[in-house]
Amino acid sequence: MTQSPATNASSIPSTANIEESQKIAHVTAKDFSIYYSSKEVVKKINLDIWAKKVTAIIGPSGCGKSTFLRSINRMNDLIPGCTVTGDLSLNGTNVYGKRIDITALRKTAGIVFQKPNPFPKSIFDNIAYGPRLHGVTRRPELELVVEKSLRQAALWDEVKDRLPNNALSLSGGQQQRLCIARSLAIEPDILLMDEPTSALDPKATARIEDLISELRGKYTIIIVTHNMQQASRISDFTAFFYEGVLIEYDQTLPLFTNPSKKRTEDYITGRFG
Amino acid sequence: MKITTRKMLDRSFSSFGLFSIVLMILALLVILVPIFKRGSTAIVFNGTVEHRRFLLERFERGDEQEMASEITAIQAAQKPVYDMIEHFENRQRKYLDALNEPLTKLAKRSDSIGRLTKRRLKRLDKNKPFLTNVKTIQKLTDRLKGHVDSDNIQAEIEQLDATIQKIETQTKNLVELKEAIRELLGPAPGETRPVLLRKQYGQTRWDRAQVKLHEVLYIEKWDYSNEGMGRKVFEPRVEHFRGTEIEPLFDYMETNTEAMLRPQLTFYWGFLTDKSMDIHIFGGIFPELLGTVYLTLGAILFAVPMGVIAAIYFSEYARPGIIISFLRICISTLAGVPSIVFGMFGLAFLLNGCHLPKGVLAGSLTLALVILPTIIRSAEEAIRAVPRTYREAALSLGASRWRTVVTVVIPAALPGILTGTVISMGRAAGETAPIIFTAAASVAATLSLNPLQVWDQPTQALSWNIYNLCTEHEAANEIQHVLFGMTATIILVVLFLNLFAIILRARISKKLKGETT
Amino acid sequence: MSVTVLKKTSILNTPSDNLVLSSRANLAQNILAWIGQSFLFLVTATAAMIVLFIIFYIAKNAIPFFQIQGLTEFFTSAEWYPSGDPPAFGVLAIMLGSTLVTLGAIVVTVPLGVAAAVCLSDILPFSISQTIKPIVEILAAIPSVAYGFFALVIFAPLLQEEGGRLLMVGWYLLAVPFLFIITIVISEMLTFKITHESSRKTARTAALFVLGGSFIALLIFVGNTLGNLTITTGTNALNVSIILGIMALPTVVSVSQDALQAVGRELRDASYALGATRAETLIKVIMPAASGGIFIAVLLGIMRALGETMVVWMASGNAAQIPSPWFNYLQPVRTLTATIAGDMGEADQVTGSSRYHVLFAMGLILLMFCFLCNLVSEWIVSRQRKKLRGEN
Ligand SMILES: Nc1ncnc2c1ncn2[C@@H]1O[C@H](COP(=O)(O)OP(=O)(O)OP(=O)(O)O)[C@@H](O)[C@H]1O
Ligand SMILES: [Mg+2]
Repeated sequence: MTQSPATNASSIPSTANIEESQKIAHVTAKDFSIYYSSKEVVKKINLDIWAKKVTAIIGPSGCGKSTFLRSINRMNDLIPGCTVTGDLSLNGTNVYGKRIDITALRKTAGIVFQKPNPFPKSIFDNIAYGPRLHGVTRRPELELVVEKSLRQAALWDEVKDRLPNNALSLSGGQQQRLCIARSLAIEPDILLMDEPTSALDPKATARIEDLISELRGKYTIIIVTHNMQQASRISDFTAFFYEGVLIEYDQTLPLFTNPSKKRTEDYITGRFG
Repeated sequence: MKITTRKMLDRSFSSFGLFSIVLMILALLVILVPIFKRGSTAIVFNGTVEHRRFLLERFERGDEQEMASEITAIQAAQKPVYDMIEHFENRQRKYLDALNEPLTKLAKRSDSIGRLTKRRLKRLDKNKPFLTNVKTIQKLTDRLKGHVDSDNIQAEIEQLDATIQKIETQTKNLVELKEAIRELLGPAPGETRPVLLRKQYGQTRWDRAQVKLHEVLYIEKWDYSNEGMGRKVFEPRVEHFRGTEIEPLFDYMETNTEAMLRPQLTFYWGFLTDKSMDIHIFGGIFPELLGTVYLTLGAILFAVPMGVIAAIYFSEYARPGIIISFLRICISTLAGVPSIVFGMFGLAFLLNGCHLPKGVLAGSLTLALVILPTIIRSAEEAIRAVPRTYREAALSLGASRWRTVVTVVIPAALPGILTGTVISMGRAAGETAPIIFTAAASVAATLSLNPLQVWDQPTQALSWNIYNLCTEHEAANEIQHVLFGMTATIILVVLFLNLFAIILRARISKKLKGETT
Repeated sequence: MSVTVLKKTSILNTPSDNLVLSSRANLAQNILAWIGQSFLFLVTATAAMIVLFIIFYIAKNAIPFFQIQGLTEFFTSAEWYPSGDPPAFGVLAIMLGSTLVTLGAIVVTVPLGVAAAVCLSDILPFSISQTIKPIVEILAAIPSVAYGFFALVIFAPLLQEEGGRLLMVGWYLLAVPFLFIITIVISEMLTFKITHESSRKTARTAALFVLGGSFIALLIFVGNTLGNLTITTGTNALNVSIILGIMALPTVVSVSQDALQAVGRELRDASYALGATRAETLIKVIMPAASGGIFIAVLLGIMRALGETMVVWMASGNAAQIPSPWFNYLQPVRTLTATIAGDMGEADQVTGSSRYHVLFAMGLILLMFCFLCNLVSEWIVSRQRKKLRGEN
């Protein structure tokens, strides 16, 4: 059921120094392609993303990273003309299969966007939005969830006195952490992050990175980033995309220190992209 | 062309642009300033004692004791006037009585003159108005002139005729004068209370009192001595009464008007909250205001839900295609339909077709159609202005599309939707043509304050009654302040709604920036 | 492999089959979504169909008139005695009234409105145009009955008493600068071809004198004629035209301002770079580029003036006669809208008679005209959109 690395050795290099028994494929792509109208922007991708690990996706601008990421919880459905072929399964269930409950899917795979996008509501209501959707309506329960998520997102201490304030009054970094907390509040298995720190200053970036490190091991995290250092600092695995093709996918350390493909090396060393 | 000419052309082009803007501003001022200036006199004016008396008697507002003392004061001031009139009347009566003797003499004759006189004299009656008796005798002398058979009788009759003629003119003049004074000061003491409300009170406003005083002092006549158009001339009324007891009356009235009417600066806020009495000669414009409010709210009640739903459909659900562009064209055509055609439609469909009664419901429905396109358009704009990221955020948390719309998109678009709604309210409040056939009545019972009871009642409305009063009111001149007041009110209502919309709009951008909590 | 599966379920909170709906639930969800969408569509379609319904209903009530009375009298006679015996239903005079008043309003509003729009978009600094905007909005917001009231109670008496002098002042104000500029421009145009320097100068001076003299004569003649006009009634076509012109101004100003601003910065810069003055840039480059939008503004202005009821009803004099001569703006006229408003009250008592249906025939004409204007402006908009798309 899950794609083991051994059966697909040609495209996915060895991952020997992590114990095989720890690795459980959470997201699996098989010959997965994404089209905008007729333009293929993600091309026949095969990969396994391992549960409870942090996976970074890197690659030059326009290579389809965001598109791929958004396809995991079907956010691309909103874009008219976007179609997919091949298989993308989450935990063994084909995401694009029949009778998929998109609501449940998105509850399983939360997403954080490049630009923080809190609702123009109070901080509390922002966090409580997801739980409310999924049936939590009693105030004490909501308060618990809100506090827990905010604590997880390391934002609690900063905002605990101003929960009724408008979320838009927070700083950019705080807003982004709020968005992460909002995603955590629906208790997802997977956290998808699309360049979550690109709009933030170094200090705020550091906080988010710390946060990701703290969440490591609790969630499957997939993060798109343009920042090589960031990828190497926080991720367990790294996938390198180039023009819609998955060039290389490996544990982060080997991939950065000893890339097996020329393109990867060029990109990492900054020769292009 | 020379460079200087080109520069001159350039400058004159700019000046023409500026000129047109100045003209636009001027037009606005020329329209608004007089309306507001004269409109404000409906509320702020010099009110006479009659105004206060009216308020006390009809609306039970004011202090009775104060009123009593005021009335004593004005009665003291007015007494000389009525005294003079009474003296004058007594004198006329004496003149008439003096005719008794020659007339009875004539009646004793056995010829036709005697018979005629006798018959006429029987008709005289002390209880009849003085002028009637005078007229009876006048007719007699008139007839007698034709029956004359001898000279000495002729002289006698002519003498009689001249005397009665004089009495008649004087009495007539007096009646006119008394009428003019009554219009100014109200009914004379001891006079039976007139039926018409407007005759029960003198002038309530000092400015109108001034006009009426002028009518007391001067008689308006048309001078046709010039070729073509006649010219208005004013003849002092005192000329009619030279050498009589009344001659000093005019001077007295002119110098003592204030004492007789006691004008005071008055703020009559009741103009907005009182019902009108005797077709706006007294009271306020509350019924019109209430009618306008009902019609406007009714229109909003129907148009907003429908408009917002259509806007949601257009912006969130509709896939571009032939059907959608057709629907859009339909709506923009609806926006271009002349308002009178909406009125006709309301009449033909709602009233004659669906047999709705002429009233608030039919009017509101018609107005709702008028404002529907505006509401759809502004709501759609507001919804489209909601950032896509809000929708993405909601959807990514597992909200369904409808849930996203209801919990995120609509709240974020609400100020924009409200802005459009408020502007449409202004439009609905100002429209006249659609309600002429469907809801408006020039005189109607004041609507109940309970909205459930009014739906089938025809109503007054500010817009309609402005038209109606200034084209059809029998005394439009007397109620200019009401007309201006009403017009100023309707403009203010609409402008306030627009101002409110502008403030709302300003708050939207602030809110989107997160400046408010 | 089986080990992996076991472990998977133990460390993940959501079992995988939670993502798949039962076919029942799926069906229910789909049906619900379909019902919801259909409801929205239905409401929207109803809102949109109202206009068709209006057209249908007005036409339905108009047709009996043509069935009873035929078309000829309606369109060719100027006799309007709907309550006479026999009644006469000639609408020619009334249509002429509507036309006159609308034309008058357009003559007032278009030059002023477009000039103001140009000024707001290109000449005045941004902050000042922002402060002027509310004025335009206020003009647009004032209810038509208030305009009518002004026309009837304030403007009509003024026009009746001081009309001649007002017109004279207006004429001088407009004509003096205009003729002055025309004189200079024409005399330059005439002598432009002469190559010899000094002879060109003398020719130009001569042309200036001749033209200037004749224009001054014209100026004074027209001014005097206007000044000596006696206006028998202030409720006439002129009054209404001016007021309608002011009412239509905001529409014309804001729509053409939008059109002017839609023309990009680049075009302006290109023209200025070639040394054109502001006026030349605006007239030769910007206004042609924005001509579609300006035309729409004019159409909307026409629709506003033609469809207005209260002002014309109150202040046009309501005389169903052809003025003599037919373009005499100083005589009272009667328009379609005012006739509908004024006659419906009595006609409704005799629902079903020609007298009732003729008003709907008039309404249908109004409606058709507005419909046409709307289609034309819709067409212009779509054509422009295509053009823009083609260029990008
Ligand atoms: N809505 C869309 N319609 C059509 N094409 C799109 C759309 N969104 C993205 N694309 C195209 O798809 C390709 C991949 O886009 P994507 O946003 O996934 O790139 P990316 O790798 O995330 O780039 P970046 O690092 O700049 O975010 C690009 O060529 C882009 O032009
Ligand atoms: Mg991206």
